Amino acid sequence: MMNPKMYPCQRYQSPPTTRREMLHRCGSGFGALALAALRLDPAFGDGVTANQLGSPLELGRAGHGPHHSVKAKNVIFLYMDGGPSQMDTFDPKPALDKYDGQDPSKLFNVEPTQFNNNGNVLASPWKFQQHGKSGIPVSELFPHVATCVDELAIIRSMVSEFPEHTFANYFLHTGSGLQGRPSMGAWVNYGLGSECQNLPGFVVINGGLIPPGGLDCFGSGFLPASYQGSVFKPSGSGVANIERTEPTANNQLRKMDLISSLDELAVDQFGKHDSIESAIHNYELAYAMQMAVPEVMSIKDEPAHIKEMYGIESEYQPTRTYGAQCLIARRMIEKGVRFIELTCPNVGSDRWDQHSNLKKGHEDNAKAVDQPIAGLLKDLRQRGLLDETLVVWAGEFGRTPFAQGKNGRDHNPFGFTVWMAGGGVKPGTIYGATDEWGYKAIENRTEIHDLHATILHLMGVDHTRSTFRFGGRDMRLTDVKGHVIQGILG
Amino acid sequence: MFSQSLFWMRLVFPCLIGLAAFQPAIADRSLSTTEEVEFFEKRVRPLLVEHCYSCHSGKAEKLQAGLRLDSRVALLKGGESGPAIVPGDLEKSLLIGSVRYDSYEMPPKGKLPAESIEVLERWVEMGAPWPDSLEPSGSEPDAARLQFDLQKRKSEHWAWQPVQSPAIPNVIDKAWPKSELDFFILAKLEEANLHPAADAEKTALLRRLYLDLIGLPPTLEQAKQFLDDNSAKATEALVDELLASPRFGERWGRHWLDLVRYAESRGHEFDHDVNNAFQYRDYVIRALNEDVPYDQFVSEHIAGDLLEQPRLHPDQGFNESILGTGFWFLGEWVHSPVDIRKDESDRFDNMIDVMSKTFLGVTVACARCHDHKFDAISTADYYSLSGFLQSSDYRQVPFESLQQNRRVSNELATLDSKYRKIVDELTHSKQISQKDLRPIEPKLASQIIVDYSTIISSDYIQDGFVFGAKPRLLGEAYLDQDGNEPTVRFATTSAAVSDPFWNGLEGVSEKGVHTKNALSDLPRPGRILRTPTFEVTDGTIMCRVQGEGHVVACVDSHRLIAGPLHGDTIKPIKPDVEWIELKLGRYVGHRVHLEFTPAEGKQLEVAFVAQGNSRELREQWMAREKEAEAAVSEVASAAHTEYGERLKALAAAWWSERAALQSKVMRRSHLAMAMMDGTGEDDHVLIRGNSSKPGKLEPRHFLTAVAGEQPMSIQSGSGRLELARQINSATNPLTHRAIVNRIWHHLMGRGIVPTTDDFGVLGQRPTHPELLDYLATTFLKDGQSLKRMIRTIVLSRTYQMSSKSSSQGFDLDPKNLLWHYRPPKRLEGETIRDSLLKVSGQLNESMYGPPVPVHLTSFMDGRGRPKESGPLDGGGRRSIYLAVRRNFLSPFMLAFDTPSPFSTMGRRNVSNVPAQALILMNDPFVVDQAKKWADQIVAQPTSVDARIDQMYRAALTRQPSEREMKIATEFLSRLPETDTPSDTAVLLWADFAHALFNTKEFIFVP
Repeated sequence: MMNPKMYPCQRYQSPPTTRREMLHRCGSGFGALALAALRLDPAFGDGVTANQLGSPLELGRAGHGPHHSVKAKNVIFLYMDGGPSQMDTFDPKPALDKYDGQDPSKLFNVEPTQFNNNGNVLASPWKFQQHGKSGIPVSELFPHVATCVDELAIIRSMVSEFPEHTFANYFLHTGSGLQGRPSMGAWVNYGLGSECQNLPGFVVINGGLIPPGGLDCFGSGFLPASYQGSVFKPSGSGVANIERTEPTANNQLRKMDLISSLDELAVDQFGKHDSIESAIHNYELAYAMQMAVPEVMSIKDEPAHIKEMYGIESEYQPTRTYGAQCLIARRMIEKGVRFIELTCPNVGSDRWDQHSNLKKGHEDNAKAVDQPIAGLLKDLRQRGLLDETLVVWAGEFGRTPFAQGKNGRDHNPFGFTVWMAGGGVKPGTIYGATDEWGYKAIENRTEIHDLHATILHLMGVDHTRSTFRFGGRDMRLTDVKGHVIQGILG
Repeated sequence: MFSQSLFWMRLVFPCLIGLAAFQPAIADRSLSTTEEVEFFEKRVRPLLVEHCYSCHSGKAEKLQAGLRLDSRVALLKGGESGPAIVPGDLEKSLLIGSVRYDSYEMPPKGKLPAESIEVLERWVEMGAPWPDSLEPSGSEPDAARLQFDLQKRKSEHWAWQPVQSPAIPNVIDKAWPKSELDFFILAKLEEANLHPAADAEKTALLRRLYLDLIGLPPTLEQAKQFLDDNSAKATEALVDELLASPRFGERWGRHWLDLVRYAESRGHEFDHDVNNAFQYRDYVIRALNEDVPYDQFVSEHIAGDLLEQPRLHPDQGFNESILGTGFWFLGEWVHSPVDIRKDESDRFDNMIDVMSKTFLGVTVACARCHDHKFDAISTADYYSLSGFLQSSDYRQVPFESLQQNRRVSNELATLDSKYRKIVDELTHSKQISQKDLRPIEPKLASQIIVDYSTIISSDYIQDGFVFGAKPRLLGEAYLDQDGNEPTVRFATTSAAVSDPFWNGLEGVSEKGVHTKNALSDLPRPGRILRTPTFEVTDGTIMCRVQGEGHVVACVDSHRLIAGPLHGDTIKPIKPDVEWIELKLGRYVGHRVHLEFTPAEGKQLEVAFVAQGNSRELREQWMAREKEAEAAVSEVASAAHTEYGERLKALAAAWWSERAALQSKVMRRSHLAMAMMDGTGEDDHVLIRGNSSKPGKLEPRHFLTAVAGEQPMSIQSGSGRLELARQINSATNPLTHRAIVNRIWHHLMGRGIVPTTDDFGVLGQRPTHPELLDYLATTFLKDGQSLKRMIRTIVLSRTYQMSSKSSSQGFDLDPKNLLWHYRPPKRLEGETIRDSLLKVSGQLNESMYGPPVPVHLTSFMDGRGRPKESGPLDGGGRRSIYLAVRRNFLSPFMLAFDTPSPFSTMGRRNVSNVPAQALILMNDPFVVDQAKKWADQIVAQPTSVDARIDQMYRAALTRQPSEREMKIATEFLSRLPETDTPSDTAVLLWADFAHALFNTKEFIFVP
């Protein structure tokens, strides 16, 4: 067996050896259960202890549990697809008004952009106003979120490594610009397991826009399939294959009984194997999930004032969609779903990717998400859930302070804004700064790896110790980089 | 205060310690004055400590960029990018550039305040004074940490040691082993006081062999045939039958596709097609079915385009070997990268990663940014391999016509040269040559980078044969077929000229899903003249052309041109232009080559390519062309006057011979991805893997730990053929171990080395190293036959053990590391789906061809979503033929751990998730198959018991036990008494069929 001393983590346990023991241990849900099954599976080589095979190095500890104690249990990731503009939302830049219409290359060094069609300096079409006790300025685009500004820790000095959507999306989601790596939600579940017995630990509630890069933004990469994001829709059955095909519930139960009694005899064919026993148990979980999903999806019984808060009564369809997403997310949080990502609803004038018509596009996108986000933050607060829920608002990059063409903005990975709320962040904070144009981060530059390190840290996971061996390396969400952003910790 | 005043003094009296006067004196001075030291201690050191030392000192948790800033020596020595400071020289001091955010941007957290930057600048100007006594601590361990000793690592790790031919070990129970390999297993079991499990029951063995070898359960008849055969050779006969089945290649082909990250779309933003990827998939299936020797298979992957004698398809005669090279190009591609060089280095990285893991079982890609942290693989090794890729190109090859047209092309070259000679002899023509012409001014001539009048033959590169064996030179006789009457003419220029002889070529591509990009409609495959590679030094490239067609500037091997950037790299050539200008300002400093393609049915001539568009060069060139034309026409008209009739006759004969040959041209051919050689060149080592920081050139060679230090001798071109030879070398300890281990992994559920793609230090050690070497040696001696290796293993007693362990076994060998039983294996998603189709009678056994479109559910969304969904049941085709679109992978397959295709995955995860149960319970496809099966069952007029029995045998390859029979009968007791099919009966039987699909036994191999 492995030497427990090699793990500083107090929660270290030797792998369980019987199904009962395993199920007992895996009270923490699907992820952990699947993982334990994996470790026992002789086909899963890394599950074999390295020491026995003579490897001098330790294996990554899967499902290791938290490294330090924290309040945060869950993450809601509000993914702002396309790259919202920092100087039009949370990072006011008066200099843009002053130099509006001037040639940017005469004012500062302009980097290559994706469309290479750079126009003049473009002032923000929106006014900023200070809000809350913190007095943090927010633009007119977010009147509702502005009322929650004292909950936010705003990072104005984010940088990404990529100016194209797909690279940047993979990077934001998986810590690598390349396709096929495990998503944040997979990593968080890999680290902590799921507390929910009958819902997946990583859920994506798709409002309509799957990000460029596709479903691989939510994949489990080299991690086991148990960590894959499950894509839900905010309406209908919610998720694929959750509705029984039998005409009646009784009919299905009878079939499941038959399967179960036949499976009990499987031991005659195989002998006793934990891999098979856990596959049998899997059906109990699946059945429980089949029951739980419709329940968590049914927002129609929520009180009217709650629906109102989330904008579900809005006359604007995208707001209603996003409101439903946010409300379902809260309901999932209450059930213990570990990581929920919301994708943006389709507003008809593209995602937050305004290469042209900045005004209309940003207004539509903001209108879709503003009230629902504020509703979510307030609802979590009033239910006492905000402290244990980390809410992250981020796009894959920001936008340029100069126009693309006449009235758009191109991609800008050199400085942009993201914010977090709840989950142990320091509320009412502004961290870092961009230059006077809002173009490049110059103070407390914060990399995506830092964002990831911080999310994991707030969840109680040390990003340097949450590793999985693949292709000859101990892989991490943060690759070989990342520093926890101390300045925004509560 | 002192330092403050010094600071002011420096500003106020710059001339006093002005650079010019000061610099030489201090450049190599190591002693510093007290004042300087104080300045350093008070102003400079605190800055360094606060902002730099967490990454750049002996105290750094992890030293970055190999750079330390905690001693003067270290600063002068610098890191991976060179010296950090040049005392007295601000511009040459990387430290200063970095804090100014000019070169690097340091510290990365944010730019230092202007006054801190000034302090550092002044300190460097002063000559970087440093107290001479104190060298920093932490240098010793650090030195050790940084040291990379390849030979030491090689000598200390098992995988680099030569493959041995181990003796067969002694065992006590001599009766147990059936084959030599059993001795290795039994010897270890006996050592541990363990007994091997009993032999598997015959039904279990039958199911195991079918599923392992062909990935489908046996039909009732197939099962009966084996179960009734009581001869000693029954198992052997079955194994041979299964190995000979075409289904074998489909089963094992899927294993292989996992290694090469097989996919049919590029993923990324719009999920463009990997054009004709399926041709590679079909190649793999055919090669495995034909049992192509493994070394041949490897050579075809690495350099199938370069083999002197390619392997031909047995019936259709086309070039099979070249299809293997398609594997290089199965990775992700990006359509509009801003940093195009980085994009290339990422593509190369993926190619190196997949190649090295697949064939060698080592992780070379870990050495991209630094020497491998654990293995005997250096960064130099990595970039030596990337040189092979830098020297190679992508193409869509008309593989069916390639061999035939190559023969035609050779004959054409001979034919033309024969007639040219006759004309020459006849006319005794005064040879007009380039030399007779007025030379271009040297200054202008130096702009010319490709000149087809003087090009050496190894630089005359083309995809296909359209531009002939060589350029047509000034004064040379050629046959003009253009007019009504064939005429002998004399070339008035030297140029690469496309030959209308080849008009009418037709490349056939799959229909595809997202095929559109800026290159897709150009008639390029097999019709490309490729210039040698050069670096763009001027933003403008100018070409002297005549005719009609296109030119494409291939920058950093980027070819998926769609979206906002890189459109400037494609330029049409219109019939009335003399010059083509490409605006490549964006790409100055990048590697590029040009690809010229004539328009369909048109001719294209390319005389030269130059950097920069200067009027003088064009004028001089045109003047020279005029002069040449005049000279040639003089000679030509003299010849025609003198020998008019004979030339006419010659032209007629030449024409008719050409026409006869032309009828042999194979015009229509399917296309496939393949590699071709470009300009042979070495790659730069990229400092810390950063494509914007090229370091020294690294000559192409194979892994130093395998092939030694001596450089590879490369005759010409990329050198991939030599690379293939070294990978296949009998003395290479990796290749043969890696492949036999893969086979063992697939048959036994775990490799002898469990980490099949990583034999390195971070991988696991072989549980049975002697057995591994025994198998590798046997494999080598036995002609590298994959089928015979599989046969050897499945006929062993080890493979045929039962999956039931004993309690003693569980205690002593809980993880079955010694193989005291053969563990049950969860079937892969593909095999589960294929089995469903087989059992329900819906399997469509047709082979090969374009992928069956993926079935799209409403949950599969995103950019690049195919317009049309494929059929729910995939047309009943085997899963290997279903489309693998990176952004729209089958949820069924994903849930059952089919890998996302981004890197080599020799060992799939085996996870257990509710989504699997939900799919088998509720997916309409599964329910539908159960229904279809039930329809057939119910249609047979027989008893309930007989039906149950038949269903068990079909789904689980065995008869039901009494207990099972009872449970089933109870479930089915609502069945109407009559055997007349009715809806309720079908539904009930469909429920039972569905339940059988949901038993664990259906998805586990015993």
